[in-house]
Amino acid sequence: MSRIRLVSSFLSVILLSATLRAEVGFNRDIRPIMSDTCFRCHGPDKNARMAGLRLDIREEALKPAMDGKIPIVPGRPDQSEIIRRIFSTDSSEIMPPEFSHKTLTQEQKETIRRWVAEGAPYEGHWSFQPVKRPPVPKVSDGGTPIRNPIDAFVQARLAKEGLKPSPEADRRTLIRRVTLDLTGLPPTPTEVEQFVNDKSPDAYEKVVTRLLASPRYAEMQTMHWLDAVRYADTRGFHGDNEQPAWPYRDYVLRAFRDNKPFDEFTREQIAGDLIPNATIEQKVASAYNRILRTSQEGGIQEKEYLAKYGADRVRTTSGVWLGLTTGCAECHDHKFDPIKSKDFYAMKAFFADIKEKGLLPGRGEDAWASTLQLPTEAQAKRLAELNEEVRRAERALEEKTGSLKAREAMWEKQLSEDFKAGRLKWQYQRPFAAKSERGAVLKIYNDELLESNYYVVTRGAASGATKREPGNGTVVASGPNPDNETYTIRFRPGPGTWTALGVQAMQDESLPGMRLARGADRFVLTEVEAELSANEKAPGKKLLLVLATTDGFGEAPENLPMAAIDGNPSTGWGVSDGEGKNPFLALRFAEPAQTTAASVITVRLRHDSPLRRATIGRVRLALSTGRYSWPELGDAAVDAGLPVDEGRLIKGGVRDGVPVDVLKALKIEPAHRSEAQTKALREHFQWSDAELQPLFVKLEQLKASRSLLEAEIPTVLVTQSVAPRETRILPRGNWMDDSGEIVEPAIPQFLGKLTTGGRRATRLDLANWIVSRDNPLTGRVYVNRLWQQFFGTGLSKVLNDLGSQGEWPSHPELLDWLAAEFMEPAWQAEGTHPWDVKHIIRTIVLSHTYRQSSAVTPELEERDPDNRLLARQTRFRVDAEVVHDIALSVSGLLIEKFGGPSVKPYQPEGYWAALNFPKREYSTSEGKNLYRRGVYTHWQRTFLHPTLAAFDAPSREECTVNRVNSNTPLQALVLLNDPIFVEAARVFAQKTIKTAGPTFDKRIDWAFTQALGRKPTATERRILADLHQKTLQDFSASPANAQSLLRVGEAPVDKSLKPVELAAMTVVTRAILNLHETITRN
Amino acid sequence: MDPKELAALEIRRRTFLGYGVSGLGLLALNSLINPRLFASESPATGGSKGVVNPLHFPPRAKRVIFLYQAGGPSHLETFDPKPKLAELDGKPMPESFTQGQQLAQLQGKKLICFGPQHGFKRFGKSGLEICELFPEIGSVADDICIVRSMTTEQINHDPAHTVMNTGVIIAGRPSMGSWVLYGLGSEAEDLPGFIVLISSGKGGQMQPIAARQWSSGFLPSRFQGVKFNSIGDPVLYIKNPQGIDANVQNASIQAINALNKAEYETVKDPEVLTRIAQYEMAFKMQTSVPGLMDTSKEPQHILDMYGAKPGDGSFASNCLLARRLAERGVRFIQLYHRDWDHHGGIKANIAIKARETDRATAALIKDLKQRGMLQDTLVIWGGEFGRTPMSQGGDGRDHHIKGFSFMLAGGGIKGGLVYGATDDLGYAAEQNPVSVHDFHATVLYLLGIDHRRLTVKYQGQDARLTFVFGEVVKGIVA
Repeated sequence: MSRIRLVSSFLSVILLSATLRAEVGFNRDIRPIMSDTCFRCHGPDKNARMAGLRLDIREEALKPAMDGKIPIVPGRPDQSEIIRRIFSTDSSEIMPPEFSHKTLTQEQKETIRRWVAEGAPYEGHWSFQPVKRPPVPKVSDGGTPIRNPIDAFVQARLAKEGLKPSPEADRRTLIRRVTLDLTGLPPTPTEVEQFVNDKSPDAYEKVVTRLLASPRYAEMQTMHWLDAVRYADTRGFHGDNEQPAWPYRDYVLRAFRDNKPFDEFTREQIAGDLIPNATIEQKVASAYNRILRTSQEGGIQEKEYLAKYGADRVRTTSGVWLGLTTGCAECHDHKFDPIKSKDFYAMKAFFADIKEKGLLPGRGEDAWASTLQLPTEAQAKRLAELNEEVRRAERALEEKTGSLKAREAMWEKQLSEDFKAGRLKWQYQRPFAAKSERGAVLKIYNDELLESNYYVVTRGAASGATKREPGNGTVVASGPNPDNETYTIRFRPGPGTWTALGVQAMQDESLPGMRLARGADRFVLTEVEAELSANEKAPGKKLLLVLATTDGFGEAPENLPMAAIDGNPSTGWGVSDGEGKNPFLALRFAEPAQTTAASVITVRLRHDSPLRRATIGRVRLALSTGRYSWPELGDAAVDAGLPVDEGRLIKGGVRDGVPVDVLKALKIEPAHRSEAQTKALREHFQWSDAELQPLFVKLEQLKASRSLLEAEIPTVLVTQSVAPRETRILPRGNWMDDSGEIVEPAIPQFLGKLTTGGRRATRLDLANWIVSRDNPLTGRVYVNRLWQQFFGTGLSKVLNDLGSQGEWPSHPELLDWLAAEFMEPAWQAEGTHPWDVKHIIRTIVLSHTYRQSSAVTPELEERDPDNRLLARQTRFRVDAEVVHDIALSVSGLLIEKFGGPSVKPYQPEGYWAALNFPKREYSTSEGKNLYRRGVYTHWQRTFLHPTLAAFDAPSREECTVNRVNSNTPLQALVLLNDPIFVEAARVFAQKTIKTAGPTFDKRIDWAFTQALGRKPTATERRILADLHQKTLQDFSASPANAQSLLRVGEAPVDKSLKPVELAAMTVVTRAILNLHETITRN
Repeated sequence: MDPKELAALEIRRRTFLGYGVSGLGLLALNSLINPRLFASESPATGGSKGVVNPLHFPPRAKRVIFLYQAGGPSHLETFDPKPKLAELDGKPMPESFTQGQQLAQLQGKKLICFGPQHGFKRFGKSGLEICELFPEIGSVADDICIVRSMTTEQINHDPAHTVMNTGVIIAGRPSMGSWVLYGLGSEAEDLPGFIVLISSGKGGQMQPIAARQWSSGFLPSRFQGVKFNSIGDPVLYIKNPQGIDANVQNASIQAINALNKAEYETVKDPEVLTRIAQYEMAFKMQTSVPGLMDTSKEPQHILDMYGAKPGDGSFASNCLLARRLAERGVRFIQLYHRDWDHHGGIKANIAIKARETDRATAALIKDLKQRGMLQDTLVIWGGEFGRTPMSQGGDGRDHHIKGFSFMLAGGGIKGGLVYGATDDLGYAAEQNPVSVHDFHATVLYLLGIDHRRLTVKYQGQDARLTFVFGEVVKGIVA
């Protein structure tokens, strides 16, 4: 440690030398020292305060302490106890004491002594003072352009330090920098050349105007904003299931694109639902309150999780807008800032009106507590039509049913008899052949022993079970695992008359997709086809299937059973929720199938869903002779003979092809049946009766269509206001402790008070205050974050904390000027509006300060290694999404589409293996969605896409306003080996060969210019030529390798190119995509 | 250490590289970046390659292998014998134990005592009482310490994991492995210093585990745990793309680094040098990791000892891998073994888990011992919480945070010791309770770190693994 301290005290000498020239400033010089070393025991937290001494308030510090000594006597350091104690050499007296593990440097002690000598003036903490627009300093002409007030502030400070700003960066560097910063994509070579050759005085302004007008600008800003508001596509706790959130992301995109005033933007997110006559847009914005981490883990405590959610909103809202770390006040008064526990809970109370649940289900009637559907006009119209058609069909069925009373009574009798005779029992079939179309290996287990490791739920508790027994007709898929697959299974049912076919998916622990499918998060059986042949060799005759039925358990709306026989290859039946099940699909034949001993039935199970690998892993087929057999229960616990909670079973379970509730109702005289029993029987009759069948089938088809349409309509979590829950201060954050005081919504006391005339303050009041001129924080906090985007570091470095433990800004006046300008533009204000984000960004990037070269001189390296004085620009690696987007853009793979559902680029198999509820496997997107910008990548909170994670994208479990920027070997592995980068290199190579001309030199020049906006040097050309030569030899010797490399990724391979040549060029372009310069913004 | 100091360290490193690079070839670069060069070896107190240098205390352990039994293993069927609970089996749980306390799925249900489902036996000279399902662990009884008085704060899996790993429920804090790596640095030449392996077996409800559990939080991401897969590619993207052989990959990396070096010559940005070193490290990992993960060349008697079949991804195989990683200087190795969540069918299911873990756990301890490594390797066995003495559904147990057991061995741990105790029914830690913070403080202590002094500035606080809590449990230290 000693070596490090040496360096750091050396640094503080440098920093201090700057401050010694002026009077000691409390905020600049004293508060940071005291906050770090004194306030823990002598600060705002009364429970931690020692010796009754408080140093953060002047009046307190001038009063005699418990021992009668006066801590600070203004102007008299010799009489001030704190000076005596900090300079003391007695280990029992010295402050800070040894146990604190804090020490003051000699310089720090001297600074405090001088400050006391100068009268010990206090200042309120800088960021808590109202924002006043400081005068723009006059700077004598040092030959560097002053393009706007930013330059004046920066250069005035540099002049004081005796430093000079750097000259403007060269045009190639500048356009790459500003294009990457504003849009997250590199400039095209044409754009570079245009700018380089544009002699007009406003050449750069034109570039900036063009970039700010681009939707790409909105995508880039959205990326930053989503980190702050912890946007993700999944809920973050436990099963980390998907949540309906992306329309909120699109709201943010539109807001930045349209340059929505930041005050409106703020209001809509925090309280869009409370704005009078709220628009759909404003309601969507209110998803901000709902996209936090939530749980649906069984056994969680409602109250505990409501406490967690409330605390999250306080932390996030404070982090995003106020730049305050309020998290610690959940348990105790803040140690360094005047934020009290009460302030934390008073803030939480603003959000107590949000309709939600601790255990927030993702399905069913209470799903997500409140959501909003966002149909297009056409969808809304179609939905209304379908609703009407469903109603009509229901009416028709009811009327017809009513006319068949006598038939119904006869049917009841028949049903009882059939049940007793066992005629409704499903008969599992023993296949003699099973083959796949695309390579999956199918094995039949009839008498063969099959080991199963499965999941049972008994009395609400789940556990694993293992059995080893004859498969009794189970077909097991293994081996190659294609995205889509068709299983053809043949069996001889023996002589008989068959009314229905059953398909049962069997669960097993080895299957990643819901324990049922070989991939994805479900299986999707897109089509079932059946044929009857007189014998094994004879041609088949199609068996028409008219009705598909299941017990409905765990089906997503887009995967209803009828979708398995609708002739549409992209829709299908599937199960994506629920545990411990072997889902069973009952398919009714249009006409009974007559078979002899030689007859063969062939069943084709198609899996053609765009959801990749949603293929069933284990399947059994069954037939029924009854009219009609209800689908098997398929509950693993029931099958295993374990005690289950009968109330939990749909229809009370199923016995021998009849639902238990129907059986019970049958036994009761019609007159004595309950309404529910009558209804159960009636519904079962409607389902079973031949005369009703056409009407019933029609209704089922309509319902399936409606359900599919509903699944297509985007849905988003929104905030809905209900009567506010009671909010209490939770002592030490303990949610079980109800002894705390009840609090009403209020802003932190030290920042003022809302005037509502006695009315309970709402989220809208909070939002209005956040963006009011009375609030000193929001403007400063946001411009400080913007500054970081364009210089790599904020003006105050600690972006999430502008409180006293944050950093005194490098340029406080500039920060205040920007904040004032943000709230009320005055400089080149034409065409701007208050809270104008684009105006601030434009002002920043037009400044000379921004345009400077990043080249470091030895003097600057020594004087200002962290570039806090801004005598130059900074080089830094671009963000994770931008790393990805650069490769796609340079190669030409990038598909630009503004907004829409999140997409799933390639991801290593098994990366989600540690997820469960449900157990699932990633299903890569198809086609164009493989090549979208990183901002649209599916954000899985507990397992973020590994490429994004490797380049420091945050999980967004919590508000993040400052991503780290690391440099690790895993990043090298990603850029070298992640298939998207390899594919990009190949497509880049194809384009290079086709476009650049026949010589290698021309190709290298072209490719280099695409990626970096400049031509290679001779050295660079030589290095790449060598690589090309070596690689060409290698591939010529093993052309299979070349072929193999070209098959990476799904973009088409240009067949007109020689594989060996293309592969070698791919290696070269891959090297270019891997360069540090390629992923660096300079 | 505050950011300024961190920055200073970084600057020093960069300056050093800046001077060194011009006259040296690419191959030399890596050794320049090797953190060993920055460690002053001071064997008296023990030097370190991380920020804690010299160490605060003489270290008793150099590395940690944490056998994390995820899902919440029942202490009542592993390490905490409760004859009294057996007597009360089927009777109502005395209210004095449970009133006003937090339960998970049993909240509001009738609470019935559920006796231990398996017997206990005494093992070793020390006579430690351990469930008879774990005879192999019993065979090393004199080397292990059982802590029977663990407590934690969170009763649901996900937050409880986060507390066990980071000390806090709020996401975004570094995990213990990251702290340790940050404090001590890595000794591994071509491997990450913090490696995670995950296995699952049968017989339980498989709870998910989030990547957050090995996150570096607000520490730089080079301190994060890297998950190694025991099936498939051991590290994400470690394999060359299809069609790229070792020659082409090597030539590519050489070319990339040569081009990057050319860039460095122009811009003198030390970040470029780091990039070069990382490509070299990546290539080294590509060469070394697959071999390291291939246990098929281990002698048969070692494979048998663990009960490992090469490439099966089992807990046993991971234990063997853990030893191999430890041998190569990996600082913190965390093995998650899943499916301990026994809400139902605990009697049969915990026997399955015992079969999966008993032999391999004991084998790891024996194997480390025979290699002379146990003395400086801390082995930890435990999960995020324990299970209720009350039954759930008649044959299972619910989550429980008031008292549960951990097993520790090696690295400064007193062998043959039982530390702390729960009450007669195994409900609450009664004697010498050990909180998660105490546990963290103790692990750091054994590694030579004062948990109060390993800090980093974050959100205005001198953040530390143990927050503002934590007492070293000296009673278990040899």
